[in-house]
Amino acid sequence: MAEATNIEKMLGGRWLDWLQGLRNLGQELWRDKTGFTGVVLIGVLLFMAVAAPLIAPHDPSTQDLRARLRPPVWEEKGTWKHVLGTDHLGRDVLSRVIYGSRVSLLVGTAVVFVAGTFGVVMGLLAGYRGGRTDSYVMRWIDTQVAFPGLLLALIILAVIGPSMITVIIVLSLNGWMVYGRMTRGAVLSVRQTPYVEAAEILGCKGKRVIFRHILPNLTSPLLTLAILEFARIVLAEAALSFLGLGIQPPATSWGLDVANGKNYMFRAWWLVTMPGIAIAITVLAINLVASWMRLISDPQEREKQFARQTTVRRRRQSRRLVSREEAGV
Amino acid sequence: MGRYLLKRMWHGVIVIFGVTLLVFVVTRLVGDPVKVMLPLEATLEQRAAFEKQLGLDRSIPLQFLDFVGDVAHLDFGDSLWQHRPAMEIVFEKLPLTIQLTIVGIGLAFFLSIPLGIIAALRPGGIVDRTTVFFSLIGFSIPQFWLGLLLIVIFAVKFHWLPTSGIGTPTHIILPAITMGLPALARLVMMVRSAMIDELNQQYVKTGYAKGIPFWRVVGVHAMRNAALPVVTLLGWEVIRAVAGYSVVVETVFAWPGIGLTAIQAIEREDLILLQSIVFTVGIMVVLINILMDMVYTIIDPRLKLQ
Amino acid sequence: MSKIRKYLLVGLLMSPICVSAVSAHAQEVTIALGSEPTTLDPQLREDGGERAVNDNIYETLMARRPDGSLVPGLAAAPPKLVSPESWEVKLRDSIRFHNGEPFNADAVVFSVKRIINPEFNSEQVSFFFTIKDAKKIDDHTVRIFTEGPDPILPSRLYWMKMVPSGYANNPKFAEAPIGTGPYKFVRWNRGQDILLEVNTDYWAEKPQIKKITYRFVEEPGTRLAGLKAGEFDLVTNLLPEFTQEVPKATHVLGLEHPIIILNADAGPTKDVRVRQALNYAVDKKALAEGLYEGFAQVAQGQLLSPSFFGFNKDVGPYPYDAKKARSLLKEAGATETTVEIIGTSGRWLKDREVVEAVAAYWDDVGIKSKVRIFEFNEYLNRLFDRKTRADAIFVVSSNELLDADKSFSAYYKAGGIGSSNTDAELAGLIDKARTETNVETRASLYHQAVKRAYDQAYFVWLLNIEDIYGMSKRLDWAARVDAKMLVKEMRVIE
Repeated sequence: MAEATNIEKMLGGRWLDWLQGLRNLGQELWRDKTGFTGVVLIGVLLFMAVAAPLIAPHDPSTQDLRARLRPPVWEEKGTWKHVLGTDHLGRDVLSRVIYGSRVSLLVGTAVVFVAGTFGVVMGLLAGYRGGRTDSYVMRWIDTQVAFPGLLLALIILAVIGPSMITVIIVLSLNGWMVYGRMTRGAVLSVRQTPYVEAAEILGCKGKRVIFRHILPNLTSPLLTLAILEFARIVLAEAALSFLGLGIQPPATSWGLDVANGKNYMFRAWWLVTMPGIAIAITVLAINLVASWMRLISDPQEREKQFARQTTVRRRRQSRRLVSREEAGV
Repeated sequence: MGRYLLKRMWHGVIVIFGVTLLVFVVTRLVGDPVKVMLPLEATLEQRAAFEKQLGLDRSIPLQFLDFVGDVAHLDFGDSLWQHRPAMEIVFEKLPLTIQLTIVGIGLAFFLSIPLGIIAALRPGGIVDRTTVFFSLIGFSIPQFWLGLLLIVIFAVKFHWLPTSGIGTPTHIILPAITMGLPALARLVMMVRSAMIDELNQQYVKTGYAKGIPFWRVVGVHAMRNAALPVVTLLGWEVIRAVAGYSVVVETVFAWPGIGLTAIQAIEREDLILLQSIVFTVGIMVVLINILMDMVYTIIDPRLKLQ
Repeated sequence: MSKIRKYLLVGLLMSPICVSAVSAHAQEVTIALGSEPTTLDPQLREDGGERAVNDNIYETLMARRPDGSLVPGLAAAPPKLVSPESWEVKLRDSIRFHNGEPFNADAVVFSVKRIINPEFNSEQVSFFFTIKDAKKIDDHTVRIFTEGPDPILPSRLYWMKMVPSGYANNPKFAEAPIGTGPYKFVRWNRGQDILLEVNTDYWAEKPQIKKITYRFVEEPGTRLAGLKAGEFDLVTNLLPEFTQEVPKATHVLGLEHPIIILNADAGPTKDVRVRQALNYAVDKKALAEGLYEGFAQVAQGQLLSPSFFGFNKDVGPYPYDAKKARSLLKEAGATETTVEIIGTSGRWLKDREVVEAVAAYWDDVGIKSKVRIFEFNEYLNRLFDRKTRADAIFVVSSNELLDADKSFSAYYKAGGIGSSNTDAELAGLIDKARTETNVETRASLYHQAVKRAYDQAYFVWLLNIEDIYGMSKRLDWAARVDAKMLVKEMRVIE
């Protein structure tokens, strides 16, 4: 009996701790309004992607050639039936943006994850091991960089056939090199610092050195890079899908809608702008969350944040006091 | 230093050879230029005869032997598509892309440094937030949209600049902006991010405490340490500009450079022109990489040349 | 002298300068093409950019009036059939090439032999594969020999450009062309522009326009911008949605026919009722008006437009009837079947969009359409695959010779490069028509072929697209059916 309650207590304790940690995080988030906005936005986007069939007003592939190129509701010929207008085949733009989030978010995160992980691992290997390994990895990077990306896409297409997986593979193969280079450079420069040398002398194994000492220095530039790459990949997927190397109709993505809307840019600006705004908002949201994460993981930054907020609060309080005095209260 | 350079150049030769070989094999396995070159309704016999004339019906090893023999004379052969020496085409188009890249990415780089630093001085402040906001938009927008918009505003509406083509110095302005603006946005983000990290470090506070002037701390010491990720990104941007973004920008502005030519070569399965382009771009990539490695060592003397 | 008089005098003195300045400008035009020529050798490549330029520098034995009718060009009269396999052509005299070389039988024989020479490896050889040889009879008479009877030799001669026998061997020939046409080559700044100026010794009516500048702009939005900014006088391949933005536009029913090839031998489309249903299901008028903004006409149930030889005016389009489509499918037991449709993207005007639109129409009547858009090379693999034919393949057929033979041999005839049927009777009709020299018999053979294919619904006939050109206000020109931009037919009005 006693054991059971002990285990229960243990589990319960862990559970409570975890909940408590989450609650603290939430409070932190609430304090940083921009980070909060970012998380909310990402939540909305994820919800949109997952719940697309429930919230989209129309089927994104239903066409109506008589209702082509209708403008958004706030323009002269717009209607509430198609809030963001229709495209060149009469399909509802809002529904396409909602459904398009699925492909764009999936491809963007998958590629950043796959390419990033692979690139970082390669860079770590090259930088830490040095010598022959470094040489081989760097030459491999050089070769891939010099190899035309579209050609690579065509080969993979010939083997697998067009699909979202093809796009993810192609973009990952084309995109890992920059992570590799950056990681290797950072590893090389950190490796020779005194504290790393000290760790090695103390007998820390390679893995420990890498994970505990080197990687934390990398998170900042890598995170920035990941955000830049995400935007680039969403648009690169468009180029591939537009050519016929990627997703097939009736599936769509933001990038593909942007590419399809190119020739209607002057006639129907909303075809390019709406999915474009979606891309921009996603990138913004990711950036907000990333900077917030950097903030809370760096104790110095938290100090600065705390100091800033305290100053603002105090200033507000003193202003209120002053005005009360002036009002003769 | 000399030995290092030699070693790197030797590596470079291996890389270039490797890539050219890969492209050679891959294009012959996957591609079939004949079906793209002849009109759609040409018959099978006509296609077979055409292929025979081009020498493409022979086995790949045989073709490769021929190719190696030709390269020994620095002769890559005649472009299947344009019927003139492929290298001639490359030398015609490449300088234009290099021009565009230097102006576009160069401007982007030099502008990104002050902008990124100013933003990093007060993270979270108004200047910083504005810079970040515009940068995010800058690299999220599609390049063709930016290009066409610039044309409509500055060329069609105001007639200040030509809509497309080459010829006068004014012709490069809009294409360079289109090429450079997203790059500027990305570089600013990286400079800012790297500088924020550096300015947080102990040595910066120590420097101020010691009385070193502000501009020296930031401009010399912090910048030096922040340079690594920025230089990496810059190298990446230059290579992508030549091999990737140039396609869109050159198409929109009818700028006859190598990016556009490369994609047309792929579409037409012009294997010979493709080989020449890959070979030349390969050389450029290797040179840029060597340059980057050397810059790394200048920035951070701790990085020993291996 | 009073002030007014003085001003008038000055004005009068100035006016010739003003007028000449205006007219000097008035005689030049700038044309924006969608692609730069890869060579200026007129016989080597299948290249729209090269044709656009060389159509003004070179000429052909036969020519076409703007409405498409065949008339003598460099020939003095249409070719005469002297034996089943040989034709005699009489040439005009006193015509010279731009470099002074005389245009005579030697030049013609040389031109013919050059283009059919297998070592020359011309991409245009599919237009001339019936021609065996050419012989000079006298300075102004040539005999052309064909492999088997060839009733369309005259229209083949409208496609073969005449080159000078001396200069053609010059290595600079492909970069500095010399022809007999109304315009002379001046300069080619690669990547930038091509300049032509008028041939003052031209043998026919002198053109009004004296100088031509060709620019090459791939991006349709940029071409439009250049036109609007006043940099171009004429732009090709104007997108239908841009027509409201241009100062002037001219359009004409062109050579391009988007069409869907149905597999008649296997798969869900094996049943003729299914194929007919697929035809009834598509609202072609809506496609023409909606997708192409009215700049297209509904195809008349055949891969020909009214001006083409072989056009059967008694056959019309399958009307849009979704109900009939559904009932046909039910009859065939094919409701809810999957039909795979293959297309490509970016090669032809709205190729991707047409496929998506048609698939949606098919979905509406109960078909489960599976759209597969392939990159162009991969797409060609499917189009030319003789072993497994896809259920439905989209293609745009372009018929430069304005004659049924080429496209029917490719798509209608069993075993043709893009055909998906094994109809021996249809193939027989087409084979016979190829060598039938009697014009009426030949026409009736094609009429029968058209009717048979229509009844069997081997294709989903869609549209005949119009060519649209954007023009500046100062240019006056009516587009031609064969899409040739002959600057001698253009005029500048100020």
